[in-house]
Formats: sequence, structure tokens, C-alpha cells
Amino acid sequence: MEATVSIENLRVEYSSRDLGESTKVAVNGLTLRVGQGEVFGFLGPNGAGKTSTMNVLLGFVPPTSGTARIFGVDVREPIARQRIGYLPEQTYYYKFLTAEELLRFYAGIFGIPRPETEARIDAVLKLVELDHARKRQIKTYSKGMQQRVGLAQALINNPDLLILDEPTSGLDPIGRMKVREIIQRLKGEGKTVFFSSHELGEVETVCDRVAILHQGELKTEGRVSDLLKEHSANLEQIFLKLIGYPPLP
Amino acid sequence: MNPALPLALALAAALSAGGRLLLWQQSRGQDTSSLFTLVLGESRRAFADQMFLKADAYYHMGNYPSVFDLAQSDGKTHMAKERAGHDPHDHPQPPPPHRDWLEAFGSHFHPTGHRHLEAFRDGREILPWLRLAAELDPHRVDSYTVAAYWLREHLNRVTDAEAFLREGLRANPDSYEILFELGRLYAENNRDVSRARAVLELAINKWIRQEAAKPAPDTYSYRLILGQLATLEEQAGNLDRALAHFTRLKHFSPQPDAVQKRIDEVQEKMSGKK
Amino acid sequence: MNTVWSLAKVVVLEMIRRKDFYVLFILTVLLTLTAASVNLFNDRSIVRYLKEICLLLIWLSALVIAITCTARQIPAEREHRTLFPLLAKPVTRGQFVLGKFLGCWLAVGLALAGFYLFFGLVSATREQHWPMLNYLQAAWLHWLMLGIVIAFTLLGSILFATPSSNGTICFACAAGILLLGRHLNKVALSLAEPLQSLLYTAYFILPHLEIFDVRELIIHDAGLIRWDMFALATLYAAAYTAFFLFAAWLAFRRRPLN
Repeated sequence: MEATVSIENLRVEYSSRDLGESTKVAVNGLTLRVGQGEVFGFLGPNGAGKTSTMNVLLGFVPPTSGTARIFGVDVREPIARQRIGYLPEQTYYYKFLTAEELLRFYAGIFGIPRPETEARIDAVLKLVELDHARKRQIKTYSKGMQQRVGLAQALINNPDLLILDEPTSGLDPIGRMKVREIIQRLKGEGKTVFFSSHELGEVETVCDRVAILHQGELKTEGRVSDLLKEHSANLEQIFLKLIGYPPLP
Repeated sequence: MNPALPLALALAAALSAGGRLLLWQQSRGQDTSSLFTLVLGESRRAFADQMFLKADAYYHMGNYPSVFDLAQSDGKTHMAKERAGHDPHDHPQPPPPHRDWLEAFGSHFHPTGHRHLEAFRDGREILPWLRLAAELDPHRVDSYTVAAYWLREHLNRVTDAEAFLREGLRANPDSYEILFELGRLYAENNRDVSRARAVLELAINKWIRQEAAKPAPDTYSYRLILGQLATLEEQAGNLDRALAHFTRLKHFSPQPDAVQKRIDEVQEKMSGKK
Repeated sequence: MNTVWSLAKVVVLEMIRRKDFYVLFILTVLLTLTAASVNLFNDRSIVRYLKEICLLLIWLSALVIAITCTARQIPAEREHRTLFPLLAKPVTRGQFVLGKFLGCWLAVGLALAGFYLFFGLVSATREQHWPMLNYLQAAWLHWLMLGIVIAFTLLGSILFATPSSNGTICFACAAGILLLGRHLNKVALSLAEPLQSLLYTAYFILPHLEIFDVRELIIHDAGLIRWDMFALATLYAAAYTAFFLFAAWLAFRRRPLN
């Protein structure tokens, strides 16, 4: 079976002249596969290369070398993004639009026919519990509501792969719980979810498999249950050990 | 503390400071009556010049040379040619050929060809710019005289012309040009010989006081005033006065023979009377 | 085309819901009506000065709306991070640039329609006639000119860091070309070589925005522009707009988004 996401020997370099360096290697030799219907946690400390990898997957940054494919299509082809939904971290959506208009706009980009668009808008707004505020301009939304409208836009095309960058960042416990519930529901629908997070407890609860990245290199990858068994520790302890942080007494 | 209090205090301070500044400005003899003076200061004169040129551009239906064309080599506008009507010889040069295809293409998008407003009976359209020029610089005499010319010659609005000239005279009490224009108005439109004479004679006195002693006096204006006054006296039957004015005019005229002809005519009339 | 149209619609909605246009429109109306209320020798039939003032305000307002609206598009998408979910969808960078252009151009077109309607009303109340075709020619050429301005502002928003610097540079360039573009050849001819050749080359390269400024023709009722020249002006504007959009796409195409 073909992997939903496949990354082969990926290397990403940035030229950072401002810092006085010639190049900075953000990702080095990363190889990764995410299967269909999996919830995959992509972990690592700040600067580990998570966002760079995601940027390559989404076509924002060209890989320096190596390949990245989504549903078997090179990520540099725009069509590769037809079946994905993406929720970036802390985005301030067009504040002059209502949730309904925002979703109609994104649906238009996917070329979804009008009757189907309205049905999808109803469905996703119900899913993220924003049905009551659908006609209000986004500028009147709380942070949690903005994050949920972001999730709604990521789901408007009924994607087979969801890429979520820190989906619970900045949310209160109730907001986090709601996002977790949505991820679980999507998993139940057979969707593939690829997400990065710093909330290791959350990852442990939600994910089937995880990858831990440090300084651009893959430190480990595997099923959460297998890792816990292998290291006889919780995910947080495993994470700290792998990135070389002194173990807690 | 009530937040209205500091606001009220700030407002009071601003108002009193503003009042003090105004008093100080007035004490220094500055003109604070005009909004333009307050806002633009002395640069209003440059704007007034531009407004005057705008009126001239309107007179030419928008087809007007820019500073880059340098076509106005005499540095004068000739809108209305306020004293003698427009002379077609003011434009002796045919328009230059287009320098390149872009210029030729661009010429379809702005007025070309020499046309004048008067041919379209739209002379009134230059008046706003002249009014604005006068507002911006009340000491710019041309604005009053040109506007008055148009008002009385082309628009038959003698009362408005007189009012505007009087406004100009209040701002420029020593202007012989405005007095001349006012004299013409009394003579040609109102047929009020005594007022016309009084005003034209005053114009001559003003001219003598201001110009006579100059190394290069404005003899053109003087000739116009003398000519107007002489004609007025001739028409009123005061032939000896007319003769005196024509004689003075001959002395300054670039065409003394033509003036001599007029003198001969007056003398003939005088001898016929006797 | 669906994608481009969707992007454009959002830009139009933004302009409708922002206050910029309304403020400038009300200012134009107020200043024009103030000018109309001035008593000029008790003559209410004087109209050309009013047309001139109204058109000047329309030109200034439209230029401000076009440049400010365009200059903030891409930087705002970056700043608010909406660029990321957008380009994570099947949208090419070319479609993105084209959508932004079309949105700004349509938004400015709507604003122009309102402005020219007001202008038509103002002149009709005094002139008692409405030269519809002349106004349509003037509005169309004005809109084309703004298309060029929008395209180069869009390019500027990719090249320059902040919308304010881009806006200022674009405004200065547009105003400079409008005021001096027509005279550059004359200035060039008065210079010595090599400056003469350099300036003459610039004269041919620069987009001559002033060609589209037919206010004088409207003010002085100079008649219709020849239709073949009108069509040529349309082509001229289309060529420059396409050039700037292509350059914007080239600049944006390979630019990393992180």
C-alpha cells in the first residue's frame, strides 16, 4: 500500500546571510513514512526541523535534496495539495470575513460545487462548534474560536490528510480537549493526521505513531506503545533522553 | 480624577496660546484675515501665479505649453489680451512636429490645436481661477483687470466687474492699472464721462508718482491711459483737453504718426467749430 | 480561473468593508460641494473649475486607494499568516499574484464607478448634458492606468519589506510619471550625452501613465478620443500590466515562505 506521506533522505538548507553564516541545515537526511488512517505525532524541541519539514510537505520551501511525496505526488506539484488540509500555528484569518464567507472562499479554491460547499460549511462548522457564530465577522472571535475556524478551513475539502502545526497552542484546557476530540473523530473517519506538538501528554493520548527530531535529524520513530515498552518510561522522559537532556532525578 | 478635567485644561491652554499667538502676529502687522495667508504664508503668491496661468490655460481650452515647452518666451499670458483683444500673431510659431512616436500617440489624449474660449462663448470659465488668484494674492493686479475685462466685455456683467475692480482697488489703492480699467468701464459701459475722467486722471497722477522717475517706466500703461482719456474727452466734445492728452501721448507712442493723425483730426474738428 | 476569482472576491470584500474608500469618497463629495457652493460673480453656470477640482480629487483618491489597497495585500497575508493555509491549498503562486491583482483592480474599478457617477451628476447639474461616451472613455482609461499602478505596486510588495515603504515609493513613482513622463524626451534633448541617451531610453521604457489622464479633454469638452487610439491605449496598458505581473510572479515564485 502506498504511504500517504513519504519523505526520502530530505535535506533542507537555508542561507542565513543576516546571521553571518553561509548556510544553516534545518533538516538532514530525514526519511519518514506515514500510512493511511494514522495519527502521526511529529515531535522535537524548537529548531529541530519540524516546521521546515512541514514547509516542504506543503510546498512552501523547496527541498535542497531528497524527495517528499503526498499520495505519491511530488509536493512541488500544486495538485499534491488537493487532498490535504493544513492548520498553521497562530493564524489570524481575514478578520473582515465571517466564518461562512471564509469557508466559502477556501471551498472556491478547491473548486467545490456550490451546493456541496454549503453542505460542507454546515458540517465543519457543526464539527468545530462554531455554528452559532457563522455570520459574525472573525474579528469578533476569541482566540479559541479563531483556532477552531482554522480547523474548519483545514477540513472544508474533506481532506484525506490533515497537517496540523501546534493545533492546541495557546488554547485553554477546554479548547485543547475539543481539538483532541476532533482529531479522534477524524481518525475514526479514516483520515490521516500529521501533527506537530510540544504537548507530549496529548501526543501520547492521541497518536498511533511518533517521530522525534533533534537538530534536523531523526532520533526515533515508531508506535507509541512500542516506544513506551522499549524505554520503560513515559513519552516525556523518552523525548528528553533522546534530545540529550539530563534525566530527571 | 475626572478625565474631563485635564482635557478641559488642555483645551483652555490651547485656546489661550492660540489667542496669544494671533495677537502677537497682529502686533507684527501680519495679515491674519485671510485663510490663505495663515495656511500658505508667502508661498501663496506662487500659487496665485499658478492660478493665473491656469486661467490662461482655460482660455486656450487646456492646450497650454508646460515649463518644459518653453513656448512662452515673452513670459506673458495673453488671455483676453485684456486691453486690445486677442491677437492671433501672439502665436506666430506653428506647433512643433512630434519628436517621437510616443509623443505622437500621447497627443491624442490631451487637447491639441489652438482654440480660444471666446469662440465657444465660454469666457466665464476662466473667472474662478482669476478669483482664486486674487484671493491668494490680493496684490496681484492682473487678476482684477483681466477678470473685469471678461465680465464687462464678454459677459455683459458690468456691475460685477465694477465691484471686483473696487475690491482690487481696496487692496491696491495706488494701482493705476485698476484705475484705468475702472475708467474704461465708466467710459465705455456706464457712459459716465465725469466719473471716467476723474478715475483716469487719478490713474495718470498715480502713474506719474510711481513710474515717471523710474529709468524704465511702464510707458505702455501710460499710453493706454492717455489714449483712453483723450478719446473720452474727444467724444465728450472737450477738444482742447483731448488735444493736450494726444500731444502727451505722441511723445510716448512708438507710432507717433498715427497719434499725429488723431491730433490733426481733433484740430480739424476744433477749426470747424470755430 | 475559479481560484483566481475566489482570491479576487476576498480583496473586493475587504475594500467594501474597510473605511478607506468611504472616507475618500465623502471627502471628495464634501470638497466638491464646497467648491460648488462658492459664489463666483453670481454665475451658477460656471462648471469647468468644478469638473477640474472633482476630477483631481477623484484621481488622487483612486491612486491612494489603489496603492494602499495593493501594497498591504501580500504583507498582510504574511503578517497574519493567512498565506500559509492559502498556499497549502492547490493554489499556484501565479494564481495567487493574479488573484490579488484582479481583486485590487476590480475593487478600484468599483470605487471608480462610484466616483465617476458622482462626477457625472455634478457636471450634469450645471451643464444640463451628460456626454456618456466621453465619461466612459475617461473612466476606462483611468481604470487601465490604475491596473498598471496596481501591478507595479504588487511587484513592489514582494520586493520591499514594508507596505509603507512600498506605498510611498509607488506613489512617488506614479505621481512622478504622471507629472513629468510627457516631458522626459524634451528634458533628454536638452542634456549632453550619455545622459541624453540614458534619459531617452528611460522615456521609452517607463509606462506613460499620463497618456491615460484625459481630464483636460473632459473638462474642456474636447470630444471623443479616436477609437483606434483608444484601443491602442488599452493594449499599451495591458502590455505593461502583464509585464509587471510577470515580474511579480517571477519574484514571488522562488521566494521561500518561512
